[in-house]
Amino acid sequence: MSTETKTSILILDDEPIVTKRLKPSLEKKGYEVEAFTESLGALKRIKEKNFNIVITDLKMEGVDGMQFLTEVKERSPKTEVIVITGFATMETAKESFKKGVFDFLSKPFKIGEITEIIQKAEEKIMHK
Amino acid sequence: MKRIAQWARKVLEKDQAPGISFNDMFVSFKEILALNNQTLDLIANANDKLSGDYIFDRRFIDTFCHETTNLVHELIYKLQVMAPRKYDALTTSFQRIESEINQVLTGRLISPVDDYIIPYSQITRDMIEAVGEKNAHLAELQSVLGLKIPEGFAITTAAYFAFIKFNSLDAPITETIQNWHNKTIKLGQASNKIKKMIMAGRIPKQLQKKIEAEINDISHRQNDQDLLFAIRSSAVGEDSEHSFAGQYQSKLNISRDDVIEAYKEVLASAFSERAIEYRRRRGIKEGEMAMAVGCQTIIRAECSGVLYTYDPVKPEKETMLVNASWGFGEQIVSGQAVADHFTLERQPPHALAGIKIVHKTSALASAEGGGTQAVPVPESRQEMPSLNNEQLQALAEIGLKIEKLHRKPQDIEFAINKEGSIVVLQARQLSMQRQELPRASELAKALKHYSVIIKEKGTVAQQGIAAGPVYKIDNNNDLNNVPIGSILVAKYASPNLTKVMNRIYGIITDIGSATGHLATVAREFRIPTILNMETATDLLQSGQEITMDAQENVIYQGIVKELRYHSLTDENIGDSFEYRLLRRVLRRIEPLYLIDPADSNFTPEKCRTFHDITRFVHEKAVQELIDFNYYHPHSPDAVAGRLQWSFPLDMVIIDIGGGLAPGKKSDVIVPSQVTSLPMQAVLKGMSHPGVWDTEPVSIDFGSFMSSLTRTFSSETTSPRMIGQNLAVISDNYTNISLRLGYHFTVIDSYVVDNIADNYAYFRFSGGVTDPRRRNRRARFIAEVLTKNDFHTDVHEDLIVGSIKKIDKEGTLERLYLLGILIGFTRQLDVRMVNEDQITLFVKKVDHFMEDSHEH
Repeated sequence: MSTETKTSILILDDEPIVTKRLKPSLEKKGYEVEAFTESLGALKRIKEKNFNIVITDLKMEGVDGMQFLTEVKERSPKTEVIVITGFATMETAKESFKKGVFDFLSKPFKIGEITEIIQKAEEKIMHK
Repeated sequence: MKRIAQWARKVLEKDQAPGISFNDMFVSFKEILALNNQTLDLIANANDKLSGDYIFDRRFIDTFCHETTNLVHELIYKLQVMAPRKYDALTTSFQRIESEINQVLTGRLISPVDDYIIPYSQITRDMIEAVGEKNAHLAELQSVLGLKIPEGFAITTAAYFAFIKFNSLDAPITETIQNWHNKTIKLGQASNKIKKMIMAGRIPKQLQKKIEAEINDISHRQNDQDLLFAIRSSAVGEDSEHSFAGQYQSKLNISRDDVIEAYKEVLASAFSERAIEYRRRRGIKEGEMAMAVGCQTIIRAECSGVLYTYDPVKPEKETMLVNASWGFGEQIVSGQAVADHFTLERQPPHALAGIKIVHKTSALASAEGGGTQAVPVPESRQEMPSLNNEQLQALAEIGLKIEKLHRKPQDIEFAINKEGSIVVLQARQLSMQRQELPRASELAKALKHYSVIIKEKGTVAQQGIAAGPVYKIDNNNDLNNVPIGSILVAKYASPNLTKVMNRIYGIITDIGSATGHLATVAREFRIPTILNMETATDLLQSGQEITMDAQENVIYQGIVKELRYHSLTDENIGDSFEYRLLRRVLRRIEPLYLIDPADSNFTPEKCRTFHDITRFVHEKAVQELIDFNYYHPHSPDAVAGRLQWSFPLDMVIIDIGGGLAPGKKSDVIVPSQVTSLPMQAVLKGMSHPGVWDTEPVSIDFGSFMSSLTRTFSSETTSPRMIGQNLAVISDNYTNISLRLGYHFTVIDSYVVDNIADNYAYFRFSGGVTDPRRRNRRARFIAEVLTKNDFHTDVHEDLIVGSIKKIDKEGTLERLYLLGILIGFTRQLDVRMVNEDQITLFVKKVDHFMEDSHEH
């Protein structure tokens, strides 16, 4: 991390194991991380704060991930969104890219893979 | 050749399915091989997910189970094509396993064994679902670490389910919990109601009998009719033992007549307010909970105490704490009694860093007729330390051993028995004061001050943090000298390294696969392991202190204490629901119980896991194909002939595509015509100078290998009894069966450019009259195989070696080695006159291989 302020990341996934593993790992790398398993809480939070990066699942109970990321992009176009999902179809991938998603990762994935994507997203943010 | 085939066909025609051609058979056979590999890969990949390096979710587990089930189903179908109606019982086993997996997926526990009682000496780690975590952990201290524990037995979850069923308690318990969830009753009411139901329940007769019989046995063995027992909870499905400490009840000093009542009380404690509430908070479903119980003899202790492997408040002091006093320890454990206090350094030789001896006037001893009573301590012992230096040393070593196994600080209860030995009564994770330890968010800053040696390289096979000196392995002999607490650094992830798992804290290799054998064993032992770090052996030197972070793939110079302290309390991802669920389904899929095809248990009915079925199908497919070749004339498309070369190996070769140079006319094949890559390698190995000793050996020795080269001389003998050496080859495939009566040697191999497809499988079993020599030969072969990176299983005189996913050249080199082994071991048992021969012959094979490299 070259900048003084930490890059802020919000993670939303309704399966607790995802945030449980991801949050400490990203914190260890120097990111400021907030994690949610319920989309309502996450929705409320993005209204209060603009995050640098948002990581979200697509298929969840309650609010649809696609809806959530649309909301994020509308409120804060600078926020880079990374989609993680267990159902990776070409259709969903295409649709989310149309919405301006930065990248798309299908589960299961390795910690290293998502870290790499986050680093690329950071570079993009810095060059804006 | 033709004559024999015709004869055999005549005899066996009615036995075989009509109409099936060799090509059909072979197509099914090849499909089975492909499915077999696909299944094993899928299983290995799922096991790899347990490394902690992946983000996976419930959906992944469902998909994995679904795909594996389909593949195994397909395998059975293909075998039925090859041998209609012969293995129908496989379907029954398949359905049973499938339904078990489905049950596991619903989150409901099922007991893996039917036994109500399992003695500690028979408990293994994979019985956790039968005996509960506490029992399994305690038994593991004895079986894995060799420590002394009290004699006793587990009353299993099967017993719990039997009790619940016998008293029809399932529905009322679920309903009561549901009512609490719906807020129609309070937590306390729900808990009391369920506890009352359990206490009013009757123990099934069968269960009661078994408990009484086991207690009788123990009393008899210890020659003590007044034994007292500790009845301890050992639940299944809890998050980790540490977080559950004290949730359930344990009853101490129970006389044999009160064991049953105490058992019920412990069962009831599974529904204490705290326990129910805890499960709800942690998302543990009620159906995931089952209570096993431990019944242990009470040690008539001279001295008892508690050992903490870390100071829970000041871990950075790097000390261990011991509290101990005379007599029984229950008051020390609960903190009610004064005790001597010792502080030891964690680093060997564990110097005494502090000591406080208290005035001990009374001690607990067993009372007549059950229970305990306080007795006065003789004046001479009142001021005497309750533990001497030697005992403290031994305790510290025990503590570190247990800590290493569980990768967390330990809280260990112990007793010193009349003979002066240390008995471990219980070991569980020590609760650390979290606020004293660095949090994940604070680590990033601290870590900047350490220099990084390697980062963002390699594959995590088991996640975790390890710190200590490097021990670099240059050749296998070094393994004997690995100091305790080292981080092992090696070029290859050789299965050989598993030998020292008990002594090392971490593993780093330059090359290796997370789905290999070493990785699986590292996960079993929970040893942080990073494979494929490429340049580790160049960058790290023996003796150098490093810290490996097998979570983020980083190797730091020196001891990074922040990381170490953080790892003392960080939540172990391996304890989360998805990991537990994956481990549970894998238990029905992954273990291999069918090992020896000659064993009477090698039947469709005895298949306990999908791996068993896969193995069974593979084995039988090979056999069916061989039998078919034997009894049928070959299809016009396949070319067959007898191998003719300077060595007396009577072998028939069937080429099923590209295995022989075109233009073969006669029934005779010479080695230079063989174009099959794996076959070439084996033949070359066999003909390596000096390997094939042609000196005649008397057939009287009855050695399989010396007689395998016999031609079948008499057509009046059943072909099943005649040695038949057969190779089925194609350009990239070879299946060699050397066969005599019940004895087989099989090589099965596929070699192509794609590393992932390559494998070589070797099986050897030989029946010689002298079991000692036979066993020596087995050990010799196993040592050679292991040294050459084969994953090797030895089961008496049966050896199975397999290697896969290495490059083309590497695989061919291993096949060359197998060729050498076949030629060389042919008469070897005869010469295995003493133990020294093993080392001698291993060296000889090494020598042959070096030779081959020079050529």
